[in-house]
Amino acid sequence: MASPASTVKLHNRSVAPEPEPTPVAYQAWLPYWAVLEADFLQVFSSWVYRSWILVAATMAIGLFIYRWGLYNEAKIIQPASHVITHLLRGILMGSVALVGVIAAGAIAGERGSLADSILSRGISRYQYYLGKWHGRLLAILLGHVLLGALTVGGTRIILHEDVTLEGGMVAIFISGAALAVVVSLGVMMSAMFARPLAAAAGLWVLLYAAGLIFGAMPHSIPTPEWILQKLPFILKGEYTREMVVQVVLYAGGASIGSAIFGMALFARKDL
Amino acid sequence: MAENAADDPVVETVQLTKIYQNRHIALNDVTLKLERGCVLGLLGANGAGKTTLLRLIIGLHRPTAGVAKVFGEEMSPNSAELRRRIGYIPTNPRFPKGMTPISYLDYMAKLFGLPRDVRKPRMGMLLRAVDLLGAGGTQIDTFSNGMTARLAVATSLINDPDLLIWDEPTHGLDPEARRSMLDLIKGLSREKTLIVSSHNLNDIDEVCNHAAVLSHGQLIYSGPLHDLKSRMRRNHFEVDVDGDQKAVTRALATIKALGDVQHVSLEHRRLNLRLQEDAVATATLGQVFQVLSEAKLTLIGIRSVGQQTEEAFLDLVEKEEQRGFTRIYRQAA
Repeated sequence: MASPASTVKLHNRSVAPEPEPTPVAYQAWLPYWAVLEADFLQVFSSWVYRSWILVAATMAIGLFIYRWGLYNEAKIIQPASHVITHLLRGILMGSVALVGVIAAGAIAGERGSLADSILSRGISRYQYYLGKWHGRLLAILLGHVLLGALTVGGTRIILHEDVTLEGGMVAIFISGAALAVVVSLGVMMSAMFARPLAAAAGLWVLLYAAGLIFGAMPHSIPTPEWILQKLPFILKGEYTREMVVQVVLYAGGASIGSAIFGMALFARKDL
Repeated sequence: MAENAADDPVVETVQLTKIYQNRHIALNDVTLKLERGCVLGLLGANGAGKTTLLRLIIGLHRPTAGVAKVFGEEMSPNSAELRRRIGYIPTNPRFPKGMTPISYLDYMAKLFGLPRDVRKPRMGMLLRAVDLLGAGGTQIDTFSNGMTARLAVATSLINDPDLLIWDEPTHGLDPEARRSMLDLIKGLSREKTLIVSSHNLNDIDEVCNHAAVLSHGQLIYSGPLHDLKSRMRRNHFEVDVDGDQKAVTRALATIKALGDVQHVSLEHRRLNLRLQEDAVATATLGQVFQVLSEAKLTLIGIRSVGQQTEEAFLDLVEKEEQRGFTRIYRQAA
């Protein structure tokens, strides 16, 4: 655009030209943060998320009471590592259905005019996907860490102590990595399907198929079942650094791989 | 961000085609150009492809064939920078649950990447402009249609766009809100380029200077609105006269005898005049005025009967449908 002359003569009067409006300095990653923040808050206020937390917390409290009663009545000592393993297994396996629903609703739940309202603004599909993925990951992993910390802390206080603090933290971290894969796959399915229910169904089919494939895999590969079997030892501090790195690499690879696939697909999809 | 060259059309589509899952052809070979400062009225029946065209222009859909360019650049789902210069209102806009106008506008402004020192003052200004300042902290779920429409307008203006795309902005509004919306479009048209899709031809007639007509996914007209109106053969007029009743009756008989007059009737002092299809209106009306003058009658007024845009639109669609297979020859030529 041509810049105006410094002074414009108009009817023999000198008129100062209007100053050029200052160009707006757009913040390139603000749309991503906006989606992440909105999605995180949306998940926290959703009844599915609250149900998940409630179910997991109830399960933990119930198991504590049972084990504590068992000790008081029958004087059977319960190793904390076994109790936590049962709880983390419960959280992981028992609530996968609810976590799946939360993850599968990420993008499919906004299809239609709501997504129109968001994706017609200055945001790319990649940023939208990343914001949604990270929002769900953050909300679910935060819930998982809180529940895990309460479980490990509660068990160490109430039950027989055979759990190391470091081992407890690593156990929460490793089970969180497995949960992250479920969330990432859920968001990927959410980008593929137009309806949340279809996306959740797709995710369950995928997890079932993955379970069958994992069953046929060699023991050196850290499958979810392998992680659960190792948990009691990890909680006692009997783990190696290489084992943790291996789990993180596999889980991270699966999460990032599914996200890249989901993003590529979503960027080419009609809304 | 680089400004587009001044001579680049704001919107240009070339052979734009959209086929959904190889089952439904929603848009077929649409070539359209929209210059800066135009207010384009997008006309068409339900399912004609209006919303599909708008969604392709905004990048919510990907074309099956052809290209949609905005500000000289190809639009795609990832063209975030292009969309920073567009304000869009979808049909029946929906809002996330639990949000207030303030939190929603802030969210939308963040989606454009607007920094805090730009978005906060703009939010306040727009909420005041659309008269929602008092309801700024109220949940949007409780809003009436009119309030929702006003919030959608504020949202589409939050990024101070150069191009506005409003899909049926007057849909579901009461007469007062509709009037305000049309006035707003007129005001905005002085400095922005607009595409307005509407079922209501009166609205298009009032605010637009260009029109595009879609029928079954095909663009059957694109150009100035007055050209569309001039396509309509105006052969039905009402002529109000004053004078002696006997003279009026005599004039009526003379006019009936004119060759190009198909039908004429008298209702009080109003002549209802319908000309032959192939009559030259100017010449025939000249003869009618001559008769009235000779009968010493005073001409009070004359007007063309019928809503011109609506008739022109219906006429276009009807002609397009009547062409049947012959429309293939135009494409081959």
